[in-house]
Order: sequence, then C-alpha cells, then structure tokens
Amino acid sequence: MSDIEKIEVDTLVVGSGIAGLQSALDLADQGYSVAIVEKAPSIGGKMISLSKVFPTLDCASCITTPRMASVSHHPRITTLTYSTVDAIKREGKSFTASVTRKPRYIDEKECISCKRCEEVCPVYLPDEYEQGMGAKKTISIPFTNAIPQYPVMHPEHCIRCGACARACPKDCIEFLQEPAPVEIKAKSVILATGYETTPMTAKKQYGLGKLPNVISPMAAERLLAPHGPYGRVLRPSDGMVPGSIAYVQCAGSRDKSIGVPYCSRVCCMYAIKQAILLSGSLPIADITIYYMDIRAFGKGYEQFYNNARAMGINFVKAKVARITEDEKHNPILRIERQEGDSAPAEVQHELVVLSQGLVPGHDAAAFGLGAENNDYGFVKLSDEMVSSAVTAGAGVFAAGVVKGPRDIPDSVVDAGSAAMEAASYMRKL
Amino acid sequence: MADAKKLAEQLKRLNELRGPVPQELRDRVAAQNKAQKAILDALKEGPKTAPELAAAAGLPHDLAIWYVAGLRKYGKISDVPGRGDWPKYELKAGEAK
Repeated sequence: MSDIEKIEVDTLVVGSGIAGLQSALDLADQGYSVAIVEKAPSIGGKMISLSKVFPTLDCASCITTPRMASVSHHPRITTLTYSTVDAIKREGKSFTASVTRKPRYIDEKECISCKRCEEVCPVYLPDEYEQGMGAKKTISIPFTNAIPQYPVMHPEHCIRCGACARACPKDCIEFLQEPAPVEIKAKSVILATGYETTPMTAKKQYGLGKLPNVISPMAAERLLAPHGPYGRVLRPSDGMVPGSIAYVQCAGSRDKSIGVPYCSRVCCMYAIKQAILLSGSLPIADITIYYMDIRAFGKGYEQFYNNARAMGINFVKAKVARITEDEKHNPILRIERQEGDSAPAEVQHELVVLSQGLVPGHDAAAFGLGAENNDYGFVKLSDEMVSSAVTAGAGVFAAGVVKGPRDIPDSVVDAGSAAMEAASYMRKL
Repeated sequence: MADAKKLAEQLKRLNELRGPVPQELRDRVAAQNKAQKAILDALKEGPKTAPELAAAAGLPHDLAIWYVAGLRKYGKISDVPGRGDWPKYELKAGEAK
C-alpha cells in the first residue's frame, strides 16, 4: 500500500452540518487550521436539504451554500467528504484521527463535474437526498448544490456496462478504486455530528413506515423545496395534489414507549413553517396540526404561530392514537380531542406528516476521548452553567445538536462558542 | 474518453474480484428500461397524468410517479402547465425516440 495521507491541523471538526461549518469558519478566520471530516459525499448536513427556515422563512440553501462555499475555498480548511472517522486517539496534548476516504470510483483530481457519466448510466436508484421520492443513477452527483460536485458510484448497483467510462471526457472513472486511509493530527476536536430523526418505523400505531402517504418531515421539506423531486407538492402514492394535509405532532418525541421521552424542540416550529409554506403552494388545501401543546419559545416564534392560526391553519389539540388508510391510500387518523368533546373520532386526510423527533446522529462517547453521553445518547457538557461547548474530555468540544435537540439559530450561536472555547484551549497549550 | 482495451481489462478484473453481476440486478434494470419505454411511448399520444401513465405502462401508481420524477429530472419529460388534482406530463422536444 502507498504511504498514508497525513494531515496536520489545529482543529479536527467531525461533521459538516451548519454547526460544523460555522465552527470551522470561526476558527479558520482567527488563523487556526482546520480539517472537517464528513461522512456524506457533500458538506452541508441536514440544513442544505431544507426548503426554508423558521421564523423568517429565509431560503435554507441561501444561508447554507455561502458557508459551504467559504469552507471549501478557505485556505486554512481541509475538507474530507465521503470519509469516516474510524478512531481518535489522544496522544499527550494532541489527537490522532484515523479516517477512511471511501471510494467514489472516480479520479477527483481529474473530474470536471460535467455529469456525462450520470446522464448515460442506465441504472436508476431511489434518491435518498429526495427521501426516496426522486430517482438518481448508480453514478451520480449527490444533489444540485452539493459541494464538492463529484459523482459517487454505488458498485453494488453497477451492471458494469462501462457507459460512464466511455462518456467521461477526462477518463477518470476508476472501477477498481479502494478505500484510502488518512491520518489527521490535531490539537483539539469539535464534535458536530448532529442528529437523525426518529425512524418512520418507530411506532406500530403509525403504520411502521408502510403507509405511502404518511411521510417524514424531511420528505415534506423536499416536496416544498423549489428543486424537489416533483417540482411541486404531490403525494408519493400516486402523484396527486393533496387537498387535505395533517401534521401529527410529538410523533417521535415525548414518548417513553420509543425511548425518546424528551421534547425535540424543533418539531412545533418546523410543522408550523411547513404548514405556512404548504398553504402558499396549495392555497385551497386544508391543513391541520394535531398537537399536545405548542412550544414556540424563541424570538418571533409565538408571532409566527399566531400568524399561522390567522392564515387559517387548523390547530387541533388532540393525540393521534392510530393511523390506517383506506383503499385509495388516504390516511385515516384516529384521534382523541383534548378540548371540548373528547370523544374519539376518525378523520381522513390525503397526506400526513409525522413530526419526528431528533435522536443522536453518532455515538460521540465511542471515540473514548472523555466526552460522555447523557441518558439519551447526546454529548454531556462538563458544566452547562459555565460553557455551552466544553465536554469532560480536555480539548474536546461540542457544537450543535450533538449536545441535544436545538434549532438552527441556536446551533449557529453555539458553534461559535465551540470555536471560541477551542481557540482559548489551544492558546494555553 | 476511456481507452477501450483498458476499460475492458478493468471490467474483467472487476468480474474476477466481485463475481458476475447478480441476476436480480440485471432483471431490475431490464424492468426499469421496459417501464420507462412504456411511459415514454404512452406520452407520444399526448400529455398524461401519473395514474394514466401507470395504467398505460401497467405499473403500480407509486412506481409510476417515481419514474416520472426520474424522467423529469433527467430531462426526458416536463410538466404541462395547468391546474387540477393530477398534473400532466409531456415529452420534451426531441425525446420522442
């Protein structure tokens, strides 16, 4: 094997969502060198796939893409995408991370992102960026505004026809590429591994992900995004414009039965945001939010909620006990109202969004750097009253949802705090 | 463009390393080609909705809209402007092969 690629920087940032990007930029702008490792083929994390943000309704990619571009062009930031951090070892006052660059099966130095390989590839796959609703090819660029714009090949779906290699003007398809190890030495580590949403299969009562018109909130974001899978809001079972849409709140949070007893802090607001956006795209649709209580705690959030009510979005205080469907795949919700007549009722809608909660994206304690997890698997801070970024591991800091559910403004603010704490730690070394 | 001989060698080596392409994958790609051809053929008669395309191509409704999303993304078909519960799709000029 050839020599291992070695990178030496001041700070290693694990994860390139909005928190990882922001902390890397803050450090690099202060003069520190940074390496960001991202497991996905593009930087940008969850935020780059959102349509708009609450409560300002700014376009999410308009906020994320400038940061992505700044990171990828920054002279002091090295970005490793489609790479995994396999282990981090503490050696005295520094850290050594073993990273694997997964093979994209292309020569990244030669690729000019012309997409010809993708155009000619004959194999269609469900596109996970579009939450399975759209299609991609076996070799494809992950999404329109991905950074870097390199295609990734999925060899398990490749029929080895060679069409991509014949179409490539730079001869950069490498069918035999192997994973490549990288060693990163750093003085401090920022954990920004973010979250996953509770799975669609979490609750038997909500159809275990098998009801085609019961979708995740990330899927709803893609339906609302201007470059989404259908270019408009349609339901995935048959491509119909839905006339009646419901949100089931706390579908993956505040629920001991699925091991997520905490509040995910963002679901009320993203549901309200999506409801407002849907009423813009589908002016005659009925939109209902079934909620336990609305938690609109940030600046301008309560006003945002009141605006949604004023726009005619129905807020029904009710717990949804069960979701089934009729023969046309219309979801049927069995609800129990908690106000007025509390008798159970069955209500039919045409599309239902489960407001899933947030669970840890990665077990950060598994790195064994002294940073511990709390009861729910999020990174525990050493003293929340003193700092929002310092963990029990010296030189190890946390940014964003890795510490627990929080919204985008909070993630950005405390990414800055993690960068500041890391800089202050490194100055004392 | 790739050197044909070098490409053939790479693909041969790949077959040695990973074994032959699984039949399931070959069948899946054949079914995809057939479904797409059926959708594009149906659209030669004029704009159609997703359920109409599903009926014409003999596909389940959810699969028909998935193919529509894919063909739309890769520039084979486009949306027909208009209102209604079921948007219509049409062939893009030059794609009626």
